[in-house]
This record gives sequence, structure tokens and C-alpha cells, in this order.
Amino acid sequence: MAIPISQVGTVATYVLKKKLTGVKRYPLVLMLEPLFRCSLACAGCGKVQYPPHILKKQLTPEECFAAVEECGAPMVSIPGGEPLLHPQIVEIVNGLIARKKYIYLCTNALELKKKLPEFTPSKYLTFSVHLDGQREHHDFSVCREGGYDIATEGIREAVRRGFRVTTNATFFDGADPSSIRAFFDEVMGMGVEGIILSPGYSYDKAPDQKHFMGRARVRRLFRAILSNRKPTWKFNMSPLFLEFLMGERNYECVPWGMPTYNIFGWQKPCYLLQEGYAETFKELLETTEWKDYGVASGNPKCANCMVSCGYETPAVVEGFTSLKGFIAMARGNFKRYPNANAMKLYNDAAPRPHAPLVQIAEPALEETHA
Amino acid sequence: MSAEVLKYTLEQVESLELAPGAEHENLEGWVPTLASDADLREALEKALDYRGDVTFTLKSGEKIEAYIFNRHTSATLADSWVQYFAPTAPDKRKLSYAEIARIEFSGKDRAAGKHWEDWVKKYNEKKAAGETNIGLAPDALE
Repeated sequence: MAIPISQVGTVATYVLKKKLTGVKRYPLVLMLEPLFRCSLACAGCGKVQYPPHILKKQLTPEECFAAVEECGAPMVSIPGGEPLLHPQIVEIVNGLIARKKYIYLCTNALELKKKLPEFTPSKYLTFSVHLDGQREHHDFSVCREGGYDIATEGIREAVRRGFRVTTNATFFDGADPSSIRAFFDEVMGMGVEGIILSPGYSYDKAPDQKHFMGRARVRRLFRAILSNRKPTWKFNMSPLFLEFLMGERNYECVPWGMPTYNIFGWQKPCYLLQEGYAETFKELLETTEWKDYGVASGNPKCANCMVSCGYETPAVVEGFTSLKGFIAMARGNFKRYPNANAMKLYNDAAPRPHAPLVQIAEPALEETHA
Repeated sequence: MSAEVLKYTLEQVESLELAPGAEHENLEGWVPTLASDADLREALEKALDYRGDVTFTLKSGEKIEAYIFNRHTSATLADSWVQYFAPTAPDKRKLSYAEIARIEFSGKDRAAGKHWEDWVKKYNEKKAAGETNIGLAPDALE
């Protein structure tokens, strides 16, 4: 299992306490965006397309702490923008560690090696490094040649210094399962604690609006990637959520499970949609029309979403609040998910460079019949 | 299926191969005609989605440059408002719909020209020219 026992215990206790006290809607991970500035200009990203005066703004450490305390989630993910560009990021991280929050600092790692001496290793702090695949795939995905080498140098240095490190990858249509699996071997070989992955989402503000997989295609891709797992692969995610991505389970969206706070306020309804803001977390919970979101709502904006900010919370809750879910979660950490058709698929497939990412008219992946 | 579909059935969603993305209009420089309350409301919805600043001319004659990130709509214009950051002020501000006389999509659309295809084209051109360390840089903060 990739996630330390102390973190699992903290989350389990938190979820069980909520269940016992009858709380229906509660956050599991706060997505804290302290700024939108970034050192990359990825074509698929809609998070950084703002006028300069917005990009120059940032949350103060005090605003970050107030949001964390108001929300109460046991885990805090710090995406952005690039958090390492925030001049007070060390103060923010140290303040969250003092509050015993498990932090995932999501970084493109271009500045990681340089900034590492300012941080202190802690069980509460994980650097979650954005890597979208092997060198050629990652560099093309983030629109910067040489990005992979800089990021992996940062990863190795962080591991050497004793930090918890994961990688996080987003896969879009045309992703090559064989290359992704080779990528898993590469990053585990660097000594990371685990891998985080996600299907791309048709984020309304993304400049690239053509390369988003529907749910059927997402399931096929993830079934191909995650079947026949190697024992060396570790995933820093709920095993039940990974089964959801493979099409072996179904969950409804729980957007309040991973709320987002940034310079605009509490984002409605989730990390990916941007339909207004609330001043307080309480207001977010009370005034958002939750029934209008998620796959069950029929909302076209939610139609292809299988992203963790909506669907990992119910997987975690199931794992910690039912015996059946707990057993499935425990087994999922060790299962290899054998699948002969998936094996044949990536053994037979010719290596794909990044080019098929733009050829969306043709089916990118054959059915695995799992 | 297209993005025009208002609601999907669960069956449609589960069988979706490709997700239709949003259609982005070219709004930079646009000055909508505000002949009715509905026109104003529609223009402000577009302004909420716009990745650039807009300039409001108020009924008082005052001009406000703003990046709109939030809005609250009610039955009357007086009870509806937009929330914004102005380039020259650090705090969030609110403006009632009832005060607005004119809207101009005056700022640069920061999402324009940044499509995947633009990157692929640029990459192929630079590669063909023998360049190395090819990449896109974030916009300057001016």
C-alpha cells in the first residue's frame, strides 16, 4: 500500500466520525489554490488563462489557514497555478503541517530542486509532481521540451532528501497504454511513494476543447492500463476509485468532497466547473444546487467526468464505512487484476508517439472485453 | 451528440466515446446591445465566462474595468449583481445589474490562440526548422 498507515488512520477516523454523527455532506480534501500563476503554458490547461492583474494576486498564509480551518478536511491538496511560485509557500506549508493536515503540494517541479532546502521532510508533506508520461509524452503534453528531465531531477532530489513524493498524471484521448505502463516502471524506479492518475476532463475553460474522452473510452483506457498490474506499482489513491476508473464499480459524484478555495472564494460546484463563488464554506454547502451536478443530473458539463474530485470521495467513504467496502479496498491494494485481452492489447500495439493525441476521429483503443 | 444537448440520459453518458467540448465565441472587442433586461443578463453570463477584462459604463457615467468571476441573479436587476476584481484595486467588489448602461469586452481574451492544434503546428514548424528546447512560455505579467 502506498499511503502511510497514519494517514489512512486519520482519514478513516474522520470518515467514521462523520458517519456516526450523521453528517451527510463533508469535505475530504480541500483543493487550496493559492495563486493561478504558472511557469508552464500547457495547451490543455484552463487554470492559468487570466489577465495579468489576476495572475499577480495570491492568497496570504492567513487566508489559507482560515480556509483550512473553516473547511476542516483532513487532507489539503495545493494545486494552482504553480504553488512553488508563491513567495510564502514555505510558510503556508509549515502552517498546515502545524495543523496536522496531510498536504499534497502539486508542482510541475521546474523549481523543486532549488526550493527543496527550504522545506523540512514530514509525514504530512507530499510533493505530488506533475508528470504526464514518459519523456516525449510529458514534454509534449506540457508544451515544453526538457520539462521531464527537470521534473525527474527534482523528484530524485526530493526522494534523496527523505520527502514523500508521488507523481500525478492526466491522460487524454489517444494515450498509449504500453507507454503509460512503462512510465509506471520508470517512476517507481525513481523511488516515489506512489502514482496518482486521472482521466482528462472537458474543462470548460481549457483552450483545448477537442481531446476529452467520454466515460466509455475512459473505462477502456484505464482497464488496459491498470489490468495485469506489476507488484512494484503503487498507487496513492483509493483502490476502489481505481476500480471505478476501470469500470468495475459505479459511484455518484460527490463534489463537496473536494471543495476548492482560491482568490475568488469557494468555487461552485467543484474544482473543474466554475459557476460562481461563495464567501464561506458554509455558504457553498448551503447555496449550491448539488442536484444539478454529477452524471446522474444529466448535466452535459458533467457527462464525461470520472475525475477524483467528484468520484474518489465516495470510494474512500465506502472503503471505511462498510465491511464489504473495507475488504474490497484492502484486497485492491494487492490484486493484480489479470486480464488476457488487455495483455494482448498492449503487447500487440505498436509504440505511439505523441502524434495520435490529435487524431481523435479514430478509435484510440480497442475494447478489451474485460 | 453535441454540446447543444441540454440533458443526457444515464445510458447516453455511459456510452459516450468523446466528450463534446465547449464552443468558445470570439468576444474580444464585443459591445453587446443592451435593449432589454434579458440582453443585459445574457451579456453578463458571457462576461462571467470571458477570460479577459470587460469595461462597464455605469448609468452615472463612471467607467469600471473589471474581471468578473461571480454573479448573483434575482428577479430584479436591482437585486442582481456581479462580483469582480479591478486591475487597480486589491479587494473584491460588487456591482448591481441596475447600474450598468454599457459593457465592452475590452481586455484581451487570454484563452484565445492557445488551442492544442496551435501548439502542434508551432512545434512541427520549429522542429522542421531544426530548433531545440521548443516550448510555450506563459504570458508576461506586463
